[in-house]
Amino acid sequence: MPSLPKVENWRDVLALCLVLLGLQQIGSAGLIKAKAAVAPLLIDRAWARSLESSERPIKPWPWADTWPVGKLQVPSVAINLPVLYGDSGNVLAFGPGYSPRSSLPGGVGLTVISGHRDTHFAPLADVAVDEMVRLEGFDGAQRLFRVSNIRVVNAHSEQINIGDADSGLLLVTCYPFDALSANGPLRYVVFAEPLMSESNLSQVRESYPF
Amino acid sequence: MRNCALLYWPIPVSSPSRSVTLLVWLYFRCLPLLAAATIVFSVLSASVVQSAQEMNEQVSAQGQGAGHLLLHSAGSTPIAALATETRVHFDISGLVAVVELEQTFINTSTQWAEGVYGFPLPGTAAVRYMEMTVGDRRVIGKVRERQEARKRYEKAKQAGKKASLVEQQRPNLFTSRIANIAPGERVTVKLEYVQSVDYRAGEFSLRFPMTLTPRYIPGEPVSIDAEMAQTQQIDPVQGWGLPTDQVVDANRITPYVAPHRDPGESPLNPAVITASLDMGLPLAEVSSLYHEVRLQRDEQRYSVELVGGVTEMDRDFVLHWRPVVGGQPKVALFTEEVDDQHYGLLMVLPPIRSETRVKMPREVIFVVDTSGSMGGVAIDQAKLSVSKALQRLGRDDYFNIIEFNSTHRKLYQRPMRATRHYVQRAQEFVRQLQASGGTEMMPALLDALHSPAVESSDNPAVAEHLRQIIFITDGAVGNESALYNEIAARLGDSRLFTVGIGSAPNSWFMRKAADIGRGTHTHIGATDEVGQKMDHLLSQLQQPAMIDIAVSWQDSVESWPEFVPDLYAQEPVILALRFGDAPPVGELEVTGTRAGQSWKQVVSLPDSNAPAAEPNPIAGHSGVASLWARRKIEGLLDQKVLGADPDQIKAQVLDVALTHQLLSPYTSFVAIEEIVVRPDGSGLHRSAVPNSAPHGQAAQVFAYPRTATTGPARLYLGLLLLFVVLMARVMRQEGRDA
Repeated sequence: MPSLPKVENWRDVLALCLVLLGLQQIGSAGLIKAKAAVAPLLIDRAWARSLESSERPIKPWPWADTWPVGKLQVPSVAINLPVLYGDSGNVLAFGPGYSPRSSLPGGVGLTVISGHRDTHFAPLADVAVDEMVRLEGFDGAQRLFRVSNIRVVNAHSEQINIGDADSGLLLVTCYPFDALSANGPLRYVVFAEPLMSESNLSQVRESYPF
Repeated sequence: MRNCALLYWPIPVSSPSRSVTLLVWLYFRCLPLLAAATIVFSVLSASVVQSAQEMNEQVSAQGQGAGHLLLHSAGSTPIAALATETRVHFDISGLVAVVELEQTFINTSTQWAEGVYGFPLPGTAAVRYMEMTVGDRRVIGKVRERQEARKRYEKAKQAGKKASLVEQQRPNLFTSRIANIAPGERVTVKLEYVQSVDYRAGEFSLRFPMTLTPRYIPGEPVSIDAEMAQTQQIDPVQGWGLPTDQVVDANRITPYVAPHRDPGESPLNPAVITASLDMGLPLAEVSSLYHEVRLQRDEQRYSVELVGGVTEMDRDFVLHWRPVVGGQPKVALFTEEVDDQHYGLLMVLPPIRSETRVKMPREVIFVVDTSGSMGGVAIDQAKLSVSKALQRLGRDDYFNIIEFNSTHRKLYQRPMRATRHYVQRAQEFVRQLQASGGTEMMPALLDALHSPAVESSDNPAVAEHLRQIIFITDGAVGNESALYNEIAARLGDSRLFTVGIGSAPNSWFMRKAADIGRGTHTHIGATDEVGQKMDHLLSQLQQPAMIDIAVSWQDSVESWPEFVPDLYAQEPVILALRFGDAPPVGELEVTGTRAGQSWKQVVSLPDSNAPAAEPNPIAGHSGVASLWARRKIEGLLDQKVLGADPDQIKAQVLDVALTHQLLSPYTSFVAIEEIVVRPDGSGLHRSAVPNSAPHGQAAQVFAYPRTATTGPARLYLGLLLLFVVLMARVMRQEGRDA
C-alpha cells in the first residue's frame, strides 16, 4: 500500500511552497530594481564614449536592443540619467526612453521621454513648476527647459498629441506613484518649455550651476 | 483562491480522524485567515487607487488653471523665428509648364538666423534655375555635385556670408537652406522648374503640392557609422526622424509640420498663385479644384489668379482645363533647340474604343491605408472609395480587402466571389475601418502581390483571370524605393492601381508605384470627387490595356522613357525625345496591341517651316530640353530599381544633371554672396520653417507608453505570502498549545 505523506508534512510542503513563491516574488522585484539601478551606470559609459567619437549609437552592452541618445538632468530632484532610444517595456526597464514618434529636441514639436514611476522617474513626483530641466545630446547640443505644466492624464481617454502641441519636452511616468497595479490608466505628465537657444546657454549656466 | 483549492486537494487521506482534524483546521483557522488577508490586501490597493483618482482631479484642475497660463507666459522664445511668403506663377503653353517659385524668408527675431525649409514639389519637376535675392542684390545659383555644394554652403555660412542651398531629398521633396539672415531681413530664393501637363480622359491638369503629410519611417533605428555621421548628421532643425535600417535618410525627409490653426487665423505660410495658360486650342472650361480662382481671357490665352489673393499652403493646388468637345488633340509635338541639339515632347492619343470590355473574370484586391496619417477627411474618402468600387463589382468577379496600419489584416482568407452576401459583409468591414497607428505598407503590399490562386473548385474557368490591386493610401512613407523594388520583383500578372487620398498625398509615390505596377494612378482630394474619380478608375479597370507600345525611330533618336508603359482608356503616349543635331523630319509609326488587336498610327513630323495639319505642334518651346533631361534622369534612376549598378547610374545622372543644370539626387543648387555680412561674435540661430498642417487631417496622436514596473506588486505579493505562512504557523502553534 502506497504510504501517503502525513498531514503535517503536507502543511510543511505547502508552507515551503508559499515561502518559496513569496521569496521568488520579492527576488524578482529586487531584480527589477537592481536592473534599473545598475543599467544607467553602463549606459552612462556608453554615452560618454559616443560623445567622444562621432560614431553613434554605441550600445551599453553587446546584446542590448537600445542605446543612449542623450542625457536628462532635473537638478532639483536629482535626476541625472542617460536617455535611451525607444519607449517599449524592455527599454524602460533600463532607463528613461525617448519616443521615436515624437520630435527631436531642438526641433518643432514635442519631445517625449518616459520613465518608470517606481524606478527612474520616481523623483518626478517632487518636481515643481518653474524648475529647470536640461537635456543633452541627440545632436550633441545642450538644451534648457523650464517646467511649466504638470498634469495627470488618463491614458485610456487621451493620447499624446504631437501635432497640435507647443514645442517642448514632455516627461511621462505612471500615476499614482505608489500604486500596485502596473497597468493603471493614469499618467503623470510634466511639460517643460524650451527656455533658451544654444547660444545663450553659457549665460544661463552661470545662474543655474548644474 | 488558488491556495484554497490546493488545500482541499489532500482530502482523500487514509485516516478518517486525521481528515476531520484537517477539515476543522481548514475551515476554522486557515480560511478565515486567508479571507482576512485578502480583504486587507484588496482594501489597501483599492484605497490607493481611490486616492489616486481624487488626486488626479485635483491636479488636473490645477494644471488647467495655473499651468496653462504658464505655457504662454512671457519669456518663452517663439518657435518659428522665420516667416515665409511664397509666390508661384505657372506659365503653361501646350503640354509644357514653366513654373516660377519664390520663397521669401523673413527673420522676425532679433538674432542672425539660418532657415531650413523642407518643401514639396511635383515629382516630375525639372528644377533648372535658382537665384537668391537680398534687397536689390541678386546671386545666381550654380549646380554642383551634392557634397561639393554642401561644403561650399557650410563654409560660407561659417564665414558669415549670405548663402543659399537647395537639395533634392526625394523627387518630390526638397530642402532650402538660407544662411545669415540679419534680424528683420527678407531673403528670397527663386526657383524655376519645368514639368509636363497631365493629359487624361480629354482633360488637362497641373498639380502643385504646397504641404506634405509627414512620412512614416518604418524599420529599426540603425547605428550610424563614421561615414554616415559625416554625410548626414542628425539635424533636429532639418527633420524629426532618426535613420532606420529601412530609411537611412529619415532625418532629411521628415520636415516639420506646424500645428493646426484656427480658420480665423492668418495663414502660417501664405502663398500667392497666378497662372497664364495658352493651349493654342479653344477651351471649354478652366477651373481650380480646391481654390477659388478668377479667370481673365484674351483670345486663347487665360490668366488665373486666386480670389482673395493669398491662400494658406495646406493642400495641393490643382488647375484643371478642358478643350471644347471634339477639340481634344490626338497628336502633338513640342520642340526646342538647345546647343545645336533638337529636343521634342511627343504626345499621341490612341483612339478610344469604349465598346471593348474585359471578358476575363477579375480578381480585385483592395488595399486600404488606415494609418494615423489618414485620420480626418482622408479615411472617409478612402472608405467611400472602396464602398463605391464594391458596388461596381460584377457577380463573376472575385475580391478581397486588406487594411493596414502598424499591422495588416485581410477581410477574407482568400478572395471571395462578389455575391451579395460577401459584398455586404465587406461593406460592413469598410464601415468600421478607423485610422490609427503606423504605416507598415510593405507587408500589406507583399500580401496583396502574393496571390493565392482563387479557389477554382466552384468555377474551373476562374483559373485564368485578371488580377487587379487597388491601393488606396496617402503614400506617407519614407521607404518608397524598397516598395518599388518589391513591386517590380513580385508583380507577375497582377496590375497595381494607386488611389492617392487626402489634401497632401505623396503623389510621386502614387505615380511611380502605378508605373512600375503597370496600372494607373488617381487622385482624390475631396469627398465629393470620390464618385466621379472611382467611376473613371473602374471603367479603366474594365477595359483592356494597350500593351507592347513601340515607336519606330531613327537610330539617332534617344527617347525616354525607354519602354512605353501600358496605357489604359483615354491615356496618351507621352515621350521625351532627343533628335540629335538635325531637326526631326519625316514620319514615325506608333504601334501597340489592345485586346489582341494591333493598332498603328503614323505621325508626320512637322517640317521646320510648315506646321502640320494636326492641332498645331508648337515649335520653339522653352523647357522641352529640360523635360527630356529630367525624364532621362528618372529613367536612369528606374534602372536602379531593376538592379543596375548604382555607381554607373550615378555617373550617368551626374552627367545629364550637370550638362542641363538640373537639380537631382546627386546635384544641388548653391548661391553664395561673396560679402561677409554677419559680424564676428554674433551667433547664428538655426530655425526650421514648418509646413502648414494638411487641410482636414486629424491631429497626429500616439498612446502614452506604459511606465510602471511590476516590481511593487511583486514585492507586496511576496511579503503577503510570507505573512500568510507566518500567521499559519503561529495559529497552529496556538492550536497545539490549547
